[in-house]
Amino acid sequence: MTTISLEALKQRLALIEDAEIIDRETTDGLRLTFIYLGTLIDQERLNESILVPLVRSFQSSVEKSLTTAKITRLSNLEQALQYLMKGSVLVHDSSSGRWQAIMLPNSLSRSIETSETETIMFGPKDSFSEQLEQNILLIRRRLPLTALKTERYSVGSLTQTTVVLMYIDGLINPEFVAVAKNKLSSIDFDMFLDSSHVAAFMEDHYHSIFPQYLQTDRPDSCAYSLGIGKLVIFVNNTPFALVAPITLFHLFQSPEDYINRWLVASFLRPLRYLSFLLSITLIPIYVALTTHHYQMLPLQILYVIIESRSKLPLSPFWEAFIILITLEIIKEASLRMPTKTSQNLGVIGGIVIGQAAVEAGFASKVLIVLAGISAISTFLVPNYLVTKSSLLLQFIFLILATYLGIPGILLGLVGMFAHLNGLTSLNQPYLAPVSPFYWRDWVDLFVRGPLHAMRIRPEALRPLNKYRISRRSK
Amino acid sequence: MKRFVRATLVLLSFSLLTFACSCVPIPENNIIEEITPIIFWSVQGGGEEDGKITISTLVPPLIKVKKRVLSLKVSLLNEGNKGFNLTYYNELKAGQIRLLFVDEAYAKRGLTRLINTVLTDPNISQRLYLVITKGNFNQFLAKHLGETDNIDYYLYRMFKHYEKKKQGEITVVNLHQFMKMLYSQVSDPQLPVFRAEGEQFLYEGTAFFDRDSMVAEIRGKDDQINQLLYRDRFVRYLVLPDLAVTLGHIRAHTHKKLTPDLSSMSIEIDVKGRIDELDSLARIEDNFQFAALTQKIERYLEENVIRLLSQMQKLQIDPLQIGGLTAKPFSKPITRDTWDRHWSTMKINVKVRLHLEPLTKVK
Repeated sequence: MTTISLEALKQRLALIEDAEIIDRETTDGLRLTFIYLGTLIDQERLNESILVPLVRSFQSSVEKSLTTAKITRLSNLEQALQYLMKGSVLVHDSSSGRWQAIMLPNSLSRSIETSETETIMFGPKDSFSEQLEQNILLIRRRLPLTALKTERYSVGSLTQTTVVLMYIDGLINPEFVAVAKNKLSSIDFDMFLDSSHVAAFMEDHYHSIFPQYLQTDRPDSCAYSLGIGKLVIFVNNTPFALVAPITLFHLFQSPEDYINRWLVASFLRPLRYLSFLLSITLIPIYVALTTHHYQMLPLQILYVIIESRSKLPLSPFWEAFIILITLEIIKEASLRMPTKTSQNLGVIGGIVIGQAAVEAGFASKVLIVLAGISAISTFLVPNYLVTKSSLLLQFIFLILATYLGIPGILLGLVGMFAHLNGLTSLNQPYLAPVSPFYWRDWVDLFVRGPLHAMRIRPEALRPLNKYRISRRSK
Repeated sequence: MKRFVRATLVLLSFSLLTFACSCVPIPENNIIEEITPIIFWSVQGGGEEDGKITISTLVPPLIKVKKRVLSLKVSLLNEGNKGFNLTYYNELKAGQIRLLFVDEAYAKRGLTRLINTVLTDPNISQRLYLVITKGNFNQFLAKHLGETDNIDYYLYRMFKHYEKKKQGEITVVNLHQFMKMLYSQVSDPQLPVFRAEGEQFLYEGTAFFDRDSMVAEIRGKDDQINQLLYRDRFVRYLVLPDLAVTLGHIRAHTHKKLTPDLSSMSIEIDVKGRIDELDSLARIEDNFQFAALTQKIERYLEENVIRLLSQMQKLQIDPLQIGGLTAKPFSKPITRDTWDRHWSTMKINVKVRLHLEPLTKVK
């Protein structure tokens, strides 16, 4: 432990242009030295709340002069530097030789905006931002409970990122909290710039293409998850919170499901599962049928496909592969471009390239239609990471379909479900409540049952308080 | 251990899938533009001294280009299939074959060999319509070689249309139904008969088979009555020119009963329908006239049913599967010879009950 000295601090702050060291003398003759990083602290508050009251003070110490500010007494140089780099002002009292830190972090952040990744028509529009405190506030407003616990961790040797673990005590299964704490404490890496980096170190199976932590920037979704017995992990400087434990089926649920009428929501949810399956198998099925199983096509469709493929130079696999790659190029390009340009790109990509590919004889009309349906299907899944995973799966299925036909696709599906069955999220099975089977949870699985029927929290999560209605919980 | 279990499960699922797909782990290469899926085969002849048959088909099947009739004289069906491949640039595949046209002369000599070949081919679906043709079928095909003339496809759609929802205009029999009747102990198959004449393909009636050989053909009102008594029990129009009346949307419910000693059979037929057309001279303005007409039609139908069944008895054939009524639970099935003996001498009583809507005012 190195003792704090002005010289040592000056040495460590050399070549830091925004480091400020100022001396002031109070009316009572107390000599104070202030050290801070100008960009990290709120300069206005420093002047109004610290400097002016201190200089005009007749008290003999800083603690006595500043009654409102939270003052931490510092004992060593490392601690002092840590506080300094987190937005504190270090104050040295020359008479007593004490070093103190006053937290004055710059609260600069963007305002609360609408979520762009999980847009909904109805329902709350607010979303998380990069500021941790603001994110916690949005949850605390929704769940004003003393049982809502927050535990702070710091991860990353370079970034020193603050991570907050949030859960409802007395409701959540304590096993989840214990596992999460254990995982958070054992993280050892230098940089954590996004919650997905934290998720990568906390996941049980980091080689899998399926996310085992739900990343969301919607406070309502997080509050709902906390309320049914899950935990939420906030990572500083990222607007996406991590929710765990999750199952595959949680990735297909949207906050809008609980806003729509239950019958409408029950119609839309299976549509998402179907569209996910379509997005990964539609084009592989086309390739399998046109390469191996022409017998399975109804004669009318066979007529259309033969017609459209009769003059193509490419085999069904290469035709599908080229179109899918082109589609991904267009999709990636439109993500990276400004909004207005990306709209034009969509038009150019969708209409001009598609039409031109057919006319030039690179692709059949049938495939262009199927590629369009497949591409649109991917967007029905509310989780962006699953959307991206489906692309890779599509290529795997495409190769299997080319070599093995429909049995290949079936084999791929068997492999995919075997893999999913082996996955866990916070040591909890990923395919619950299907495997292991919890029949009571099926009311909110493939269909979204009426809220009145959801009297108990998901059994798969084994919450301490399983009833959602007050009469039964007593 | 866990990995071992997983690997075993994956291998097991793969083996099951392989079994489910006819034990072909790597499927055939059937790139759609490199093959020619044919829709029908037409088989003629078989009466020549060398025992050869002529097999024909139309290629390409669907693409809007000028068509060609491929025709070969061969001894075996698959010899023809192989021969086609040698004379045509694309490989002809039978996986989408939907129609099998058999010449009347060939049908009279027996269809077992042909049906067995088609039946045992795993690529060929059992939803294959069997049709007896008369006239020169190849000549008929030759008149339909235009770019937009997909005659094979249109013929398939025609059979599909009449089979679906049992439209009740023509007899439609697929391979599965034919096979079931052929290998039944007591019943015989029946197939539709068409005549190829110039550019036209005309429905003539229904052919009756004794086991696998065509023995008779019925037309007109006999064919309609046969359709009524057969499993459809629906005929769109029952035209009775002798009585100057057309009955429409006819549904029959037939109740057949055999006496235990198989000496006689009674058939009660409840016919529901409407009078669609009536000769201008006939009058059904009052209940008496309407009842008289109904009775007249009932008698007429009874006579015709008896005549049709007598014809079947004379030929010792059972296309209506009446022999099936002899089957009882826990009893030994009757043999073909025993049934034939009883059937040919069986006394038949027919009762027709008409429930008609006149569609005009009847006082």
